[in-house]
Amino acid sequence: MLLCLLALPLVSLVVRLSPAELWSRLQQPVVLDALRLSLLTSASAACAVVLLGLPIAYLLATRQFRGKRLVQTLVELPIVLPPTVAGLGLLLAFGRAGLAGGALRALGITVPFTTLAVVVAQLFVATPFFISAATAGLGAVERRYLEVAATLRAPPGVTFFRVMLPLALPSLLGGIAMSWARALGEFGATITFAGSLAGRTETMPLAVYGALQSDLDGAVALSVLLLVLSFAVLLGLRFAPWSAGIGIQGARGHGP
Amino acid sequence: MARSRSVVLACSAAIALIAAGGRASVGPKATVVIFAAASLSDVFRELGDTLERRDPAVHVAFDFAGSQTLAFQIVQGAAADVFASADNRWMSYVRDSGFVAGEPHTFARNRLVVIVPQSNPGRVQTLQDLARGGLKVVLAGVEVPAGRYARDVLSNLEGAQGFAPDFRLRVLANVVSTEENVRSVALKVRLGEADAGFVYATDVTPDVARYVRVIPIPDASNVIASYPIVVLRHAAHPGLGRAFVDLVLSPVGQATLARHGFTPLESAH
Repeated sequence: MLLCLLALPLVSLVVRLSPAELWSRLQQPVVLDALRLSLLTSASAACAVVLLGLPIAYLLATRQFRGKRLVQTLVELPIVLPPTVAGLGLLLAFGRAGLAGGALRALGITVPFTTLAVVVAQLFVATPFFISAATAGLGAVERRYLEVAATLRAPPGVTFFRVMLPLALPSLLGGIAMSWARALGEFGATITFAGSLAGRTETMPLAVYGALQSDLDGAVALSVLLLVLSFAVLLGLRFAPWSAGIGIQGARGHGP
Repeated sequence: MARSRSVVLACSAAIALIAAGGRASVGPKATVVIFAAASLSDVFRELGDTLERRDPAVHVAFDFAGSQTLAFQIVQGAAADVFASADNRWMSYVRDSGFVAGEPHTFARNRLVVIVPQSNPGRVQTLQDLARGGLKVVLAGVEVPAGRYARDVLSNLEGAQGFAPDFRLRVLANVVSTEENVRSVALKVRLGEADAGFVYATDVTPDVARYVRVIPIPDASNVIASYPIVVLRHAAHPGLGRAFVDLVLSPVGQATLARHGFTPLESAH
């Protein structure tokens, strides 16, 4: 069964080390470095994806405009693009010798090999997850409520923040969770664009890959940690009070 | 709509044709799987072609990666017929874990060089320049043979005339990325993203040479990398594996290696 396929690898990881062994390995500097870096970068990427993605989702959900389908395709593209391809593209675009490299250099910014590069790579791959959920959520808000707000002479900003956003919140939170989890697990684009250096760019997935090459049990410990974190995010949002009764997927209309 | 339907049909036909073509070439052939260090990509592909030409019933498939990755996969049960490592350490790991059939043979040697991008953004002219603050140096990881050799070279240089006593530490402080295999190091330099990188002399292929400048390392401080090769114990096609190893060790194989820049076995010190 499919559920076995999903569950068995996770169980195999968890049972491999005893709790005591796991705990002692998790206290090593390389693990703590990777954990701190992963949390910092994925949280930054999640924030960025919301701040930058919400306006796009709003436009896609409420407006018709020329080139809308192109924008929709562009926003969905990172999902189908192999992460390493994304990383190579990022390098060729924002690298020192890349298309935008000269402009960035003039501003005093170099991106590759920095923690910023990790955030950019994560942002790139996580964007579609938030935007598609947010677009669906915002689009599902019944027009009646927006029209009522208009008759009450609410300015567009108030309508958005006090009517649309709360109604679309479950979808938005679901989108944030998925994009956050995707950013947390990002590997291919990160290793190609940002490289791998402990403390600066070696996030947990990269640390697992590095540990695999010489220390299997160290890799297992890191994997379990990553597993627990991802689980916490997904479960946390599913059981949070604001998603009760409505679900992560979409806001269903209230009332008749 | 009629137009989109015919597009779908055309695409399906194309996919079917490609799939059929692919199957036809792999069909009744035996596939021998070679796990080899990344630095062997070009030369081994050429030798694979040679073997396939000699015996059209054989298909040679390669997995090129850092030797440490391959060694680990073999010990975890990956299905391969031959293993060619860039150092004796990972070959010993595979042998001590009981996965080899027979004794490994050294088939090639290699030397390290430093490469910088053609435009030389870091203005690196000499090896000493590598210690200058703010440079972006890329090395292979500590577990990768090329990474270990590079760090050994840094230690050797530190003790040499004309190098500061903290040379190695200063260069290591400039490292911005530790790559999984040596070809990734070459890529970062070739793309102009790194100021300098340590690679094998053989990684400066004609394709790469157009985009980089080479800074040689004096023989006295350089390391001689030894590449061993062996047929694996659980090989699905041990005979074919043996044929590939024999080809590599034969005069034809040795000449091909020499042509790609590997140091000949006889003249190595």
